[in-house]
Amino acid sequence: MRSISKTIRNGVAAAALLGASASMSGAAGLACAPGETYVMNVMVSAHPYWVPVFEGFKQAARALGCEAVFSGTPDYDITKQIASFEQVLVKQPAGILLHPMQADPFIEPINRAIEAGVSVTTFAADSPRSKRTAYITSDNVAEARFAAEEIVKAVGDSAEYGVLENPGQSNHDLRVTALIDYMQASYPKMKLVGRQATNQDPNAAFIAVSAMLQANPNLAALWIPESGSAEGAVAAAKAAGRRLVIIHADISPTTLAEIRAGNIHMALNPNQGIQGFIGFMNTFLGAHSDLIDPFNDWKISGFNPMQIPFVDNGFAVITKANADAFVLEDYMKGRN
Amino acid sequence: MTAGPQRPTLLSRLLGARETGLVLIILVLFVLMSFASPHFLTWSNMRAMTMAFSVEAIVVVGMTILLISGGIDLSVGSVTALSMVIAGLLFLSGVNPWLAALIAIAACAGIGAVIGFFVTVVGLHHFIVTLAAMVIARGLCLLGTGGRPLGLYDLPASVKWIGIGSLGPLPVAVAIFAVVVVVFDLLLRRATAFRLVYYTGSNPRAAAYAGIRTRRVVLMTTVLCSTLCGVAGIIYMARFGSAQPTFGVGMELNVIAAAVIGGASLSGGKGTILGAVLGAVLLSLVSSSLALLNVSVYWQDIIRGSILLAAVTFDHFLVSRQAAGGRG
Repeated sequence: MRSISKTIRNGVAAAALLGASASMSGAAGLACAPGETYVMNVMVSAHPYWVPVFEGFKQAARALGCEAVFSGTPDYDITKQIASFEQVLVKQPAGILLHPMQADPFIEPINRAIEAGVSVTTFAADSPRSKRTAYITSDNVAEARFAAEEIVKAVGDSAEYGVLENPGQSNHDLRVTALIDYMQASYPKMKLVGRQATNQDPNAAFIAVSAMLQANPNLAALWIPESGSAEGAVAAAKAAGRRLVIIHADISPTTLAEIRAGNIHMALNPNQGIQGFIGFMNTFLGAHSDLIDPFNDWKISGFNPMQIPFVDNGFAVITKANADAFVLEDYMKGRN
Repeated sequence: MTAGPQRPTLLSRLLGARETGLVLIILVLFVLMSFASPHFLTWSNMRAMTMAFSVEAIVVVGMTILLISGGIDLSVGSVTALSMVIAGLLFLSGVNPWLAALIAIAACAGIGAVIGFFVTVVGLHHFIVTLAAMVIARGLCLLGTGGRPLGLYDLPASVKWIGIGSLGPLPVAVAIFAVVVVVFDLLLRRATAFRLVYYTGSNPRAAAYAGIRTRRVVLMTTVLCSTLCGVAGIIYMARFGSAQPTFGVGMELNVIAAAVIGGASLSGGKGTILGAVLGAVLLSLVSSSLALLNVSVYWQDIIRGSILLAAVTFDHFLVSRQAAGGRG
């Protein structure tokens, strides 16, 4: 049976964090003071992706007796997200787990927060030139390589494949370019015959895949970096009466149903709960950096000793066999 | 005895029609594409292309009639998504899906009526009222779904049929689109009530002095546009088996572009259903052709915009020449 939980590639850091929290949870210092609050801040706050992330965030907060708050802007707008981040800062939380919509515009706000004593960890998107103490995300390259191997397993190593993409969103771009690069390097007989921008829009994907199927009668597989376009792609394949090996990242109720029905081969879904839980732990540890005195130059260089450059939250492989475990509504029943 | 004015022949009327330029541009693209790709002039590609543009073109019909009456609707994408969400939520709560679809379309008509009320009774401009409606309808989509897409995979096959099924060789969605086009083209050409749309749009004050109830006309065209969004939303829901609260973002630009390319005027009084359909066909043809030729995604928007600019410029000069010829 296929493993549900895939690699945590930089697992040493993650395992260390988990181990530390498990062994020290009763110890003084690894718990919040009354009212100590941690905030998760995002853009497009109604997006379903955040729901399991915040659930993991809350679970970690509960374990350490902390307060957890969700915040952000409903818009896809950098200025509005920065405004919401600054509104959070005014309240002086102990830490913020931040999904920065863009890297550089957040450098100054993050640095200001750090200077004000607020711990900041980034997740799912980074601001690498800021002073954030840690970054937790999925390894998009690992996802793409895994997808490439699965495509080759399903259609052979000398077939035609296509990709849909969402130019401008860095994690989606990486998923696409990494798969194409990996195919070129490892399976040079695999031919990329279609590459279309559908920007998470099912209708755009329907149009693009319809044309792709016409232009390429031997098209055998599709890699899609998100679920919205996958909905349109599978509808186009059905309308054209064609069988395709479709693999996509993320998950939606409709693509989950298509996986159950055998119309989508599989989906690769970031472990959002781990992202939220470990994201909280990193933020908490950044705020309680007195717990550690590592063998490095933090004292003379002045950085937070709890610095962790990158933690991989891993990803889940969703197939017909384990699809029932990924119904978000079922998971969220009884949780608030 | 002097000769009276000659009646224009069918040929001269055809050549004088604005739609002729668009037909020529589309034909040129067809010829070029048939050489560029052996898969272009195939039945399956034609079927795929008509399926691709037909649902959005239903909204284009509504937008065109609204533009002719002097209005505009920026909320079409949000209202289409809201139709999907309302029908989806009702279906998931156990309501018969056909009844759910009718309720969703009626709700969209209701939104059109509210927009129409603010335009015709309160006296606000369509632009600002529909901008507000766009935001409110999107907010309702997010509120109703909690921001999560609704999985409607279990919709009955009879409902999915309107999105992906066929009537013989003809996709059902295309058949619905064809019915909408024929009905509203005939109404605009033949029905007195719809002829009033042109008078209202070209000069509302003169139309009012002539006894036309212009506010009623504008209310009717506004409700019609929102209602057709509701219809399109139901077909999309049936096609994709889902209702995404973010569906249709940016749709208004495509729809308005198709109508304007087809000859509808943003200042009202001009436009035809045939022209609007040709505008939608041209937009879809360009998109499908770029995908068919596997043109780099980084070039596609530049090429698409350039072709559209060229098409509209060519059409503009064609119409100008015809107008000059008519005067001379």
